[in-house]
Amino acid sequence: MTTIPAPWEDVLDDELRGLLAKRPERPVQGKRPVLVAVDLYDLVYDGGPLPVVDLMEKYPASCGEYAWGALPGTIELFKAARAADIPIVHVTYDTRLETDPKKYHPTNRKRRQPDLALYKFKDELAPLEGELVVYKKRASGFFGTPLSAFLNELGADMIYLVGESTSGCLRASVIEAVSYGYPVAVVEDGTFDRYLLNHKVSLLDLHLKYATVIDLAAATSAMRAASSGRGV
Amino acid sequence: MRAFEDYCWRDILTADMALVYSAYERERTVAPGPAVLVIHPDDSLVITAQADWANAAQKLVDAARAQGLPVVHSVMAGAKPSAHIKPAPGEAICQRASDSAFLMSNLEAILTRAHAKGLIICGAPMSGAVRATSVEAKSFGHKTAIAEEAIGDEASLLLKVALFDVAHKYADVMSLDEMLPLVRASSR
Repeated sequence: MTTIPAPWEDVLDDELRGLLAKRPERPVQGKRPVLVAVDLYDLVYDGGPLPVVDLMEKYPASCGEYAWGALPGTIELFKAARAADIPIVHVTYDTRLETDPKKYHPTNRKRRQPDLALYKFKDELAPLEGELVVYKKRASGFFGTPLSAFLNELGADMIYLVGESTSGCLRASVIEAVSYGYPVAVVEDGTFDRYLLNHKVSLLDLHLKYATVIDLAAATSAMRAASSGRGV
Repeated sequence: MRAFEDYCWRDILTADMALVYSAYERERTVAPGPAVLVIHPDDSLVITAQADWANAAQKLVDAARAQGLPVVHSVMAGAKPSAHIKPAPGEAICQRASDSAFLMSNLEAILTRAHAKGLIICGAPMSGAVRATSVEAKSFGHKTAIAEEAIGDEASLLLKVALFDVAHKYADVMSLDEMLPLVRASSR
C-alpha cells in the first residue's frame, strides 16, 4: 500500500502531526481478506444527495450528500472484491420488533421511529446470493452477532471495512475487528457520517490507533494482488 | 446543569454541527447506585490534554468510596494500575486485552456481581480506551456518565471530538461539580 490519503489534513495541528509521526506502520495485506460493509441501508440515503442540515426536518437519519458521495466508490469496491473472490459480509440493523426492549436504542439519539422498511440494503449495494448478512442491535457489527464466527469460517486474515457512520457503527466495528486480532484497512471512499469534522477525526483516530486508512485505488489494487496471490 | 453543548468542545462547535446533532440533546443524570470505572492509561502514552485528569477522577473515586459504591480499575493486560489512582484493598482490578474494558475481560461479571446500576467512567485516553469502553457500556445497556474534567488524552482535538461524540451518542457528560452531588446522593 503506497497511497496514504489524508482526509484529515485540514484538521491537523502540531500535536496531531506529532502523533502521526510516531504511528507504527501497520501492513494490511492479507491472503484471505474479507470485506465487511456496515449499515448501508436506504435510511441513510433518504431524501437524496443534499446537505444534511437541509434534510434533517424530513429525513432525520439521512447522511444526505455524504452518503451519496460515498456510493460510487463503495459500488466500485464491491465490484473489485467480487472480481477478486473476496467475500463480502453485509452488516445491518435487526428490525424485528421482538428484539427491541422499548426504551433501548443503539445510541442516545431521540428518534421518531423510522419506517422499518428503510433498513433495506441500498439496491446498488445489496448482498448477492450466497453473501453473508449479519443482523445487529448495537453499534459494533460484532456485538452479540456471529460475525467473529463467520470470519473464522471464511478463513479471514485481514478485513477491509466500509460503511457508516464513521464515528459510530463503522468505528465501533473497526475497533472490535482489531481487538479480535485482524489487521484492518478502512477504505476511506466507502465511509461517511453526518458531519465532516467527526468523520475526519474518527478516520484519523482509527489510522493512529487501530487500523490503516487507505483510498479506493489502494484497496482495489491490493484486492487484485490478493486474488493473483491465490491464483484466482 | 450547564447547557448540553456548553462543555469543552464548545470552541469547535459550529452552528451546523449543533443543528446536525440536536436530536441527541436530552436531560442528563447519573444512574442511582453506579460503579466508578477507572480506565488506567497505558504507561507508554503521554497524556498532554487535561494532563491533570486524575485529580478530578480521584474526587469521584473518593466520593464513590464514601458512599460504598463499587470502584473498578481497568488496566492493560499485564500492566499495573497507573500511579495516578491507587486501588484500595478489595477493589477489583480488571485486565483489558484491547481498548474496550469489556471486550474479552471479566468486567461485565464484576459489575453484575457488584449489583452496579450504571457506570461512571473516568481515565485516559478519551479517544481510545475511554471511548471504546463507553460505546460498549452503552451496548451492554449500562446507563453511563462522564465528568469532563476526569478524562485526559494525547491530543486536545482528539479529546474534544471524542467527548463530543460520546456525549451525544453513548453517555451523559457533565462537569465534575455537577456530578459530585449526584454521586454523594447515591447509595448501593
